[in-house]
Amino acid sequence: MKDVAVLGVGMHRFGMWAEKSHADLAREAGLAALGDAGLTFRDVQAAYVGHIFAPVMSAVRTMKEFGLTGIPVQHVENASATGSAAFREACFAVASGRHDVVMVLGFDKMSEMIQRSGAGTDPAYLEDSILPAAFFALWATRRMHERGTKPEHLAAIAAKNFNNGALNPMSQRQAEQRVTVEKVLAARMVAWPLTTMMSCPIGDGAACAIVGRPEMARRLHPERPVVTVLASELQTERYERGHLFVGPVVGPARMSVDTSRAAYEQAALGPEDMDLVQVHDAFAIEELEYYELLGLCREGEAEACIERGDFALGGRVAVSTDGGLIARGHPGGPTGLAQIWETTLQLRGEAGKRQVKDARVGLCHMMGGGSVCVVHILARA
Amino acid sequence: MRPRMPVKAGYFTVPDDPAEPPRLLGTRCRDCGEHFFPRRAICANCMSARTEDVLLGPRGTLYSYTFVHFPLFGSMRVEHIGYGVGQVDLPEGPRVQLPLAGKQEDYRVGQTLEAELEALREEGDHDVVIVRFRPVESGR
Repeated sequence: MKDVAVLGVGMHRFGMWAEKSHADLAREAGLAALGDAGLTFRDVQAAYVGHIFAPVMSAVRTMKEFGLTGIPVQHVENASATGSAAFREACFAVASGRHDVVMVLGFDKMSEMIQRSGAGTDPAYLEDSILPAAFFALWATRRMHERGTKPEHLAAIAAKNFNNGALNPMSQRQAEQRVTVEKVLAARMVAWPLTTMMSCPIGDGAACAIVGRPEMARRLHPERPVVTVLASELQTERYERGHLFVGPVVGPARMSVDTSRAAYEQAALGPEDMDLVQVHDAFAIEELEYYELLGLCREGEAEACIERGDFALGGRVAVSTDGGLIARGHPGGPTGLAQIWETTLQLRGEAGKRQVKDARVGLCHMMGGGSVCVVHILARA
Repeated sequence: MRPRMPVKAGYFTVPDDPAEPPRLLGTRCRDCGEHFFPRRAICANCMSARTEDVLLGPRGTLYSYTFVHFPLFGSMRVEHIGYGVGQVDLPEGPRVQLPLAGKQEDYRVGQTLEAELEALREEGDHDVVIVRFRPVESGR
């Protein structure tokens, strides 16, 4: 990836926003990102829009909130990785020279989707009788069997993410007091060993990024560090025996290994160069596995690293600095763009109380429906 | 016994004899021999289209498990408030994830399980059934 920069980022805080429409959420995030970039909608030459749960044509219709300027608008959908996949398309649109300023917008109201679907009564899928959390719990039980992982390790990850989220004004879950391992363990059990506090909440929200050329970023904000995109990688599954074809929620572990390796290669960097990392921590067990799969620690060492606090703010490499999916929230379409928002602010040194000291390189990892993995590497130029 | 109807056609058999365990409807590749669940037209291993329908199971080995503390979706039965879920390795190769009969303390990694049908709800004069696995050895 060459000569692609994040010009601006904006969010509507994730949460339960029953009284707001998709357009309300999207408008706030989009105008915030344009304002952050120092641009207006007239400057935008194309848009990639991500939503999972909104009706057909919601992408184009929602973009009319900003203006009707005739620009190409494309809807991108890849389950949880929707926002990340849309961001990737915008990066390539700029890198290829097709456009100079591209808007990436993600929005969703997962709260309405849950009400509409009647949760699982659709017999279209055999696995539809099973709560999705169960599939991740299966990952946890197996890890406990193989590595002696304890619920306390998972609780420590969740507590870290809650406490990071408390430092992020855009985080859905805002703990009033410091969250402890004991509190996470005492929360309601969803699917053994995962409690509600080890699981991401249902929520609504929007996030937006403006992508363009680094020289434009410099011109628009000469005083501000330029954040560039060093790598964008998207991969789907490779077949191995034991592959699960029904219940495509978790996905094979190898997909995160392969996708992140390709991204590191593209960026000519290694995992040891990362100052901060965002992952698809919909459930705490995922973050634990991704420490190893993304190469942040060696296989089998995740538990010891958690005990040492390696991935906390101020640790060896800070992970889920904005609270992650567990605290910041996971509405769907905007989630991957919330990671870009956080990483951009961190690399500029604008992340306030959760600022990672001298952050220069950040990685964003998302999984979509257990069937696609997206990794971006951003850096301060 | 009331007639039984699968919650979704094309995934498992519903034997006429209630004592007979259901089988999973799978695919075997005639070129490389790999087995799949559910059925597919093209082999995911060698991409050959020379595939055939086979019956898988009914026994398998527990790879991982959990116990969900919520009602089983689509069920109104009080005994389905809380249910096990397992990943089960079939001897033919595929790994499947399906509900488990029993309680969390009945499950351990590596144990043998057998498929069974479980009524989810009634529809007209039929029972709508799902397939699940039950530990073969007694618990503990």
